[in-house]
Amino acid sequence: MPVTLTIDGQEVTVPKGTTILEAAKTIGQQVPHYCYHPGMSSPAMCRLCLVEVEGAPKPMPSCVTTVMDGQVVHTQSEEATASRKAVLEFYLVNHPLDCPICDMSGECSLQDYVHEEGRDSGRSREPKRVFGRDDFGGDVLFYGDRCVMCTRCVRFMSEVEQDTRLTVVDRGNRSVIDTFFEEGLDGTNWHGNIVDICPVGALVSKDFLHKARAWDLEHTPSICTSCSQGCNIDLHTRDNLVQRLKPRENLDVNGWWMCDHGRENYEWINQGTRIEAPLVRDGNGGSKAVDWKEVLGALLEQANGAGAVKAVASPLASNEDLGALKALVEALGGGETVYRSARAEEEIVLKGFPSLARRKDLSANTTGAELMGLERAGADDATGGLADVAGHDGVLVVLGDALEDQPADFGKNAALYVFLGSHESEASANASFVLPVTTFAEQEGTFTNVAGRVQRFWPGLQAPGMARPPWLILGALVAELTEADLPRTAADAFAALASAVPAFSGLTYDDIGTRGALVNEPVQLSGD
Amino acid sequence: MSDVPFKNPGWAGNTGEFDLTEEEVRGDDFVGTRPLHGGHASGAGTMPFMLPETNPDAKLFEGEYQERFDKILTRYPDKQAALLPTLALTQELRGYVSAASMDRVAELLGLSPAYVRGVTTFYTMYNKRPVGRHLVQVCTNISCSLCGADDVVEAFLRYTDTELGETSEDGNFTVIEAECLAACGFPTCVQINSRYYENVTPSEVPKIVEHLKAQTDGDS
Repeated sequence: MPVTLTIDGQEVTVPKGTTILEAAKTIGQQVPHYCYHPGMSSPAMCRLCLVEVEGAPKPMPSCVTTVMDGQVVHTQSEEATASRKAVLEFYLVNHPLDCPICDMSGECSLQDYVHEEGRDSGRSREPKRVFGRDDFGGDVLFYGDRCVMCTRCVRFMSEVEQDTRLTVVDRGNRSVIDTFFEEGLDGTNWHGNIVDICPVGALVSKDFLHKARAWDLEHTPSICTSCSQGCNIDLHTRDNLVQRLKPRENLDVNGWWMCDHGRENYEWINQGTRIEAPLVRDGNGGSKAVDWKEVLGALLEQANGAGAVKAVASPLASNEDLGALKALVEALGGGETVYRSARAEEEIVLKGFPSLARRKDLSANTTGAELMGLERAGADDATGGLADVAGHDGVLVVLGDALEDQPADFGKNAALYVFLGSHESEASANASFVLPVTTFAEQEGTFTNVAGRVQRFWPGLQAPGMARPPWLILGALVAELTEADLPRTAADAFAALASAVPAFSGLTYDDIGTRGALVNEPVQLSGD
Repeated sequence: MSDVPFKNPGWAGNTGEFDLTEEEVRGDDFVGTRPLHGGHASGAGTMPFMLPETNPDAKLFEGEYQERFDKILTRYPDKQAALLPTLALTQELRGYVSAASMDRVAELLGLSPAYVRGVTTFYTMYNKRPVGRHLVQVCTNISCSLCGADDVVEAFLRYTDTELGETSEDGNFTVIEAECLAACGFPTCVQINSRYYENVTPSEVPKIVEHLKAQTDGDS
């Protein structure tokens, strides 16, 4: 049953049971808050979301006060702002105000709220209490002095991760967040989230410590590649390097969370050992960098009548890339395409948000690969399985797989061996053509997650040298070999895929948007 | 107990209302002994200050204490609710709640050790460190403070030869400040183990300390 109330002079209709804070959000009115988080219970203990409700004897905490028909709420009235101003003054009584050396500075809600609504100077003349730092283990460092005691971290561990490692120790102004003495957070799989939800700089990431200032970071919406869950993330980049990954809210996939495994797995994107120009082997072990036009021309010349095709693709490649590879294999006369992906023994489920788990499949796009008819090869550690590919004497195409476990003579017998990779690799030694491609962080594209949800990601980094997205390189070859149009954008490449693979038919980039869209057929992964 | 060497006006004389003698009020009948069948549902009878002799290495739990622990469990809807009396029982037995005790209690009640630590540290009546045979808690809240509680604290520290919150070398005394002991009509109030000493002035402190020392010597 909907309830109609007035917030700041504006009429709002929301479902019964909605809190005033959430109702205010629907008209774009953000009420300051610390302890409230949409993914957890609200203890109403920070007292920062106080608003004036006409008829109520005192300011009400909007995060737990539910709406009533005909209620008149003022979030910006004198009473409301004065209450919050008073609360904010108390928050600064013991806060060290060490913003210049605080990692949270620039994205800290204490900074924001005090700037918006707080006093311009404090009146406390008492010495501040000092706790110092505490290493919580894992990736978390705790600065006790900055803490505002919202207990979001405690509630995350007990309600969402459901491993009560954190607690409030002691009472009154000596209260401090701590674990059971030296127990720490080691062995938990989701503790990185407590750094995200900490509204101030009390919990900071050791990995990110003093690495970059928040205002220097560019945020690019992307998808985590570390497993097939497809958590929505933001790439935080500076100086053309990924500095950290942060979860991006998507209730259909990952809520507000992501696992530590995914969060820590970004260094590979920043590795400097990139292939920067197309290389053509001269047959004597040497190679020559050439421009794209020349290399594609030479490649097509050699491909003519070179025999059956075998292709190895990486499940870190996007749907567009895999679709283009599939089209190329068909244009060259058909053949078989395999992919290799590491698999973990078990899923790591986030108990308080059970649709989210670190999946068994440790690559972003295994579902996409399966839907396109690629076959899984090799063992669960992504090795082996390429015995008949290594010695293949026709056309051999490798996309993105570094082939680290393969013998030195991999592809030696191939009439044409094309290696598309982002990073230098031993296995490309025998390739007649080495083509530099972008990583997912440098190109636009889509991944299909374990539930069959196609999700877009955007480029956050500049590609090095002459590296191009695989769909563009492969699409150009396909366009030369067949009647197909040259895909000029990732959307074109996706459209080509949608018309070729039934699972994707009807989907467009516009449909997918930032939240993703489901493929047309139910997903059943091989091996599951 | 007419040999108590200091006046304690907290005893208002037998008004006839409760029909208790001074002997009964000052004696041990109403402190320290807890009915073995379990007593009050909250475990309140297990108030730990009542037993000056404790064994920090005692097992959690065995014998009579195991029976009492089992009894506590039957009184609550779930194990988590039994945490406070279980901690009180632990303190009664061991004298204080150590990290190892918290861990053991967490194991017994199926809780996380961190949660047990949070609860234990919230309540000031659980000793987080070993205390002396006589835990002297001087109320320094508003009424007592106005009537000179700070001087009383100082006197206790001087005559027991210890620092605030520390235990004297002979292991007899730990002096701490307490918040309101709910005896605001009789400031300064001092709680020593289970016993209230009311209207205490600094000049009475040496007599009280001597009295306590005599008790301890008598015990040993």
